[in-house]
Amino acid sequence: MKIAIVIPAFNEEKNISDVLKEVKKPDHPLYVVDDGSTDDTYKLLKLHKGIKLVRHKINLGKGAALKTGAEAAFDDGAEAVIFMDSDGQHLVSDLEKFEEALKDGCQIVYGTRNLSMGVPLVRYFGNKAASLYVKALFGVYVSDLICGYRAMTKKAYKKIKWESQGYGVETEMVVRAKVKGVKHCEVQIKNVYLDKFKGVTILDAFSIFFQVLKWRVKL
Amino acid sequence: MIIGLQIVGVFFAAVMIYLALLNYKRSELNGAEIFSWLVIWSFVIFVTIFPELLRTFAQTFAVSRLFDLMVVGAFVLVIAMVSASYVRTKRLEKKLEDLVRELSLKEKDSKKKSKKSSKKS
Repeated sequence: MKIAIVIPAFNEEKNISDVLKEVKKPDHPLYVVDDGSTDDTYKLLKLHKGIKLVRHKINLGKGAALKTGAEAAFDDGAEAVIFMDSDGQHLVSDLEKFEEALKDGCQIVYGTRNLSMGVPLVRYFGNKAASLYVKALFGVYVSDLICGYRAMTKKAYKKIKWESQGYGVETEMVVRAKVKGVKHCEVQIKNVYLDKFKGVTILDAFSIFFQVLKWRVKL
Repeated sequence: MIIGLQIVGVFFAAVMIYLALLNYKRSELNGAEIFSWLVIWSFVIFVTIFPELLRTFAQTFAVSRLFDLMVVGAFVLVIAMVSASYVRTKRLEKKLEDLVRELSLKEKDSKKKSKKSSKKS
């Protein structure tokens, strides 16, 4: 199975070079989507050989960047993609777990952090509450609803192509996969917390809360 | 007091008509839009000067004061406009996303083609 790695990046000049050095693997094409960064991320990315660079002229958000990255990979013949964050919080050593799950027939694979280890308490409870909320509305329980370390096949992507541009994308993937009957599974991953001011904020969480209601009505 | 309020109301509506005409001259509003705005603001001026004309409507909707009826009417108008504006913004957002993503994918493809052609030559 031809699997590509997709990394969306926005203003990650501090971490991106280290992340790419780690992630670059000869057997997996690596797609990096610069989502309209205003710092030197794009300049740094251009220096890296062996990556496929796609750039949004303006910042659209993580959801849009993931979509662009996935489509670029599928256009080039990939059969599945693995999404990773660009801040270095996802470990390359976990990639194999996703590959194995895809080979075992899972169409979408959710990475699950051990939320009782090193995760800030607010995030821990927020994440659990979100999982229960989605379970109540859609009947699907995913232990780590907002983890960005995920994989999916081309078939699954076509079925669940999301509309969220921002951080609602992970939740939308889960609910669309459930509605469309896409076979999913979870794999345990390790996680490194680097920057507590990045990622999903309280405001994003509120927005996602209402989006889930909207999806319940719409989907 | 009422006269003072009426003067403020008429002045405000007159300014809004001026702004609407200005936007029309700049081609930011089309014919139908400027017509709608002129009708709305002219109606506001008319009922501000002759509020008694609304008395029948107020009785129909069981609103005791004319001023309350005007406030309710204004709220309805504002809510309708905010909703329309929200839908339009969402549509624009979607179009912008599609455009930016399409451009980035085309750029990737053209890079790929130019690499291939340089290898051949």
